Amino acid sequence: MGSIDAQIALLAVAALFFLFGTGVWIGLSMIGVSVAVMWIFAPAKPAGDAMATTIFSDTSSWTLTALPLFIWMGEVLFRTAISEDMFRGLAPWMRRLPGRLVHTNIIGCSIFAAVSGSSAATCATIGKMTVPELKRRGYPDEIAIGSLSGAGTLGLLIPPSLIMIVYGVQADVSVAKLFAAGVIPGVLLAGLMMAYVAGWAMLNPSKVPPPDAPLSLAQKLHESRTLIPVVLLILLVLGSIYAGIATATESAAFGVVGSFAIAGWQRRLDWRTFWDSVMGATRLTAMILLILAGASYLKLAMGFTGLPRHLAESIAAMNLSPAALIVVLAILYIILGCFLDGISMVVLTIAIVLPMVEQAGIDKLWFGIFITIVVEMAQITPPVGFNLFVLQGMTGKSIFWIGRVSLPFFIAMNICVVLLYQFPALVHFLPDLMVSAAR
Amino acid sequence: QTKWDLPAAYPATNFHTVNMQKFADAVKAGSGGKLEITIHPGASLFKAPEIKRAVQTGQAPIGEILISNFENEDPLYGLDVVPFLATSFAEAKKLWQAQKPVLEKKLAAQGMIALFSVPWPPQGLYAKKEVNALADMKGMKFRAYNRGTSRIAELTGAQPITIQAAELSQALATGKVDSFISSGATGVDSKVWEQLTHFYDTQAWLPKDLVLMNKAAFDKLDDATRKVVMAEAAKAEATGWAESERLAKGFLETLAKNGMKVQPPSAKLGAEYKELGKKLTEEWLEKAGADGKSVVEAYRKM
Amino acid sequence: MRAYLRKLYEAAGALGGLFMILLLVFVLYSVGPGVGLWLEQQVGLPNPFNYVARSADEFAGYAMLASAFLAMASTFGRGEHIRVTLFLQRLRGRARRYAELWCLALGSLLAGYLAWFSVRLCYVSWQLNDVSTGLIAVPLWIPQLGMAIGAVVLAIAVVEQLVVVAMGGPLMEEPSGEEAMHIER
Ligand code: NA
Ligand code: NA
Repeated sequence: MGSIDAQIALLAVAALFFLFGTGVWIGLSMIGVSVAVMWIFAPAKPAGDAMATTIFSDTSSWTLTALPLFIWMGEVLFRTAISEDMFRGLAPWMRRLPGRLVHTNIIGCSIFAAVSGSSAATCATIGKMTVPELKRRGYPDEIAIGSLSGAGTLGLLIPPSLIMIVYGVQADVSVAKLFAAGVIPGVLLAGLMMAYVAGWAMLNPSKVPPPDAPLSLAQKLHESRTLIPVVLLILLVLGSIYAGIATATESAAFGVVGSFAIAGWQRRLDWRTFWDSVMGATRLTAMILLILAGASYLKLAMGFTGLPRHLAESIAAMNLSPAALIVVLAILYIILGCFLDGISMVVLTIAIVLPMVEQAGIDKLWFGIFITIVVEMAQITPPVGFNLFVLQGMTGKSIFWIGRVSLPFFIAMNICVVLLYQFPALVHFLPDLMVSAAR
Repeated sequence: QTKWDLPAAYPATNFHTVNMQKFADAVKAGSGGKLEITIHPGASLFKAPEIKRAVQTGQAPIGEILISNFENEDPLYGLDVVPFLATSFAEAKKLWQAQKPVLEKKLAAQGMIALFSVPWPPQGLYAKKEVNALADMKGMKFRAYNRGTSRIAELTGAQPITIQAAELSQALATGKVDSFISSGATGVDSKVWEQLTHFYDTQAWLPKDLVLMNKAAFDKLDDATRKVVMAEAAKAEATGWAESERLAKGFLETLAKNGMKVQPPSAKLGAEYKELGKKLTEEWLEKAGADGKSVVEAYRKM
Repeated sequence: MRAYLRKLYEAAGALGGLFMILLLVFVLYSVGPGVGLWLEQQVGLPNPFNYVARSADEFAGYAMLASAFLAMASTFGRGEHIRVTLFLQRLRGRARRYAELWCLALGSLLAGYLAWFSVRLCYVSWQLNDVSTGLIAVPLWIPQLGMAIGAVVLAIAVVEQLVVVAMGGPLMEEPSGEEAMHIER
């Protein structure tokens, strides 16, 4: 790496940290640093015109339109009775598992994750019901809240997933393949979390409240009929992709329509909630697109300086093993994840990291799943973690306390990464199947 | 010393990019290091539709475009994708010679200079079943991505599905699309044999990439360097055409080796396509006006 | 004055909301042929959506762009644009005010820069007659207008807040924890 590269890298990183740290809006900070980089290192280029061109083209991308639509879908579902229904439908089956109703958090989040693209929305929607119920029945806060905080992050790993859309668009990886690749790791991670809860319950039998009165199988099934709408919605969204009706982008539109159907059927739909959901989704999209705009400009500025390419070349020269690179990147992302939200983290690093990753011979699809899991970790590490914010608002506990009770689930995610590294087939199996099934 | 950034749309390994890299190396050597061109492949700087504008407004001094991307601006840019007008390398070369002077005039009016143009290998039909006549295309889920392909769908009764290039492989994998027209290169890049079974070497058209530069940036170079750029551009065009032709065969062999049925269109299909081509050329001429008429006439005389 | 500006931000935001609905319409329009063909080939019903979804993909992208940019000011006003407030939250009184002034001053410059060049992008497209590359030729200044207006309104909102804080007015509110769901990721 030449001295110019080192200067660029140092200047950019220091300036970004300074601006972020002093509280300047993230999207605007990235624009500011990019302008500075362009002025200093590419003075002949029209910095502002290049910015406008690239922001226009990147933030009007068709593949990205899945993002606002999945956000909108989450906004609608949050306003329905879906979380009450899921608790009623799941609770009767949890009676005999060690840890009992705590598992409604994990299974509820896993199921909801299959219709929601976001971690905080999953956490908020499921928590809306389970937090008061678990408290009423006497489950200790630490496990009730910790498991919710951890399992909420499955919203990102189990498809659909906003992070996968952002990564897929940036890294030019098929979003449909990323979605397929997330299923098995998502189920694996949910399993690891449930195993922890079961282990905790067996070690602390006194802390688990007694079970409800048993129900007959017929009664259980009757209660579970409330799960039908959400299952239909999963079939609609994911089914439409893999039946060849819709692309991953288009399936999001089905999701919005389907969630309106559920809201209407539950008589929760009026003009007020309709417009609230529209504006909620619009503002959230505005927030994310400002960050993406800043990131796409930063990517352009970095491209003009040639830094990403030189970094990739010097990584190649170091002959790092893929495993070493993954460990280094995992540490980097865990540190970044304490302070940054997931989307900023991905878009900020991808231009630099992806060439290195490809250079080291790591598969881009696998890396997408890796990034998704490290972003999940970021959701539950204080001081900046969106599941922490959601749960702070919901329970009044401090984010550091919530971060501490989430720690076992953070560790579960690390174990999951190691397993995926050892057995990459866990990631590749479904996408490969999808390819050969089409033949 | 001058440094130019060249935004390009295709990956570093694509033969267009490789050819441009050779051009850049030759220019650097020939100018004694006075002009250094850095290629930014894979749309890493600007995306394909933005590159022309970037060169025009001086955001990049030089860039690579797919000419037909700009057929909305002027039908003349869409001439090389008029289906079944020029259906071999030899014909495409003639078409380029006829098209070039008019194109250069248009680009000059926008402050740009055409450097060199290299064709993609000829476009063939990929399908999941046998297609022996136009009637067999009815009901196929056919990718429509520009005027020509959507007219083909309309005229044959295929169901046009609009899919962007980035989504093509996932659309094939899930079966949203089961047929499309493209070059052998696309088929090899996206491992089409995993989903489709037939390739018809219809040589429907040969779309071209064009490397163009900003005139003001070019004028800033000294005389000697300018001469080097133009001389190397001419060489790059010649090697690019030869390379494209050489690869075209290789791509079809790769498709066949992976189990696809690679074949010329049946006599019936070929004749029907020719008819279709006449109709579509007429349609194009209606839009393209006097300029277009003169270009096509010049082409037909060659 | 401030009341009028607030109305401007909210009006732009509501317009953004309409573009969100339009985005859904375009994507549904785009998937129509796929659904129609599935009905015909898998279910055996007649195909009701036998059309070419011309440029639906491009229009959806433009609708998303307009939606997001038009809503940027009202998002800003609610404190929903992401920033790291860890340091800010530790400051009290005058120090907090100075820190906020720094953020807003720099924010005004950068939002102004974004606004200026977004307007220029739109103007130059109009001047050059730049058109889109899809099946329907759209003059590019039309979708870029949404971006330009949104960026200008955002710049106005940031400058207004700068003036308010500089004159000793109240600091911007931080979104509550309950709202955190709406600013996730
Ligand atoms: Na999900
Ligand atoms: Na965090």
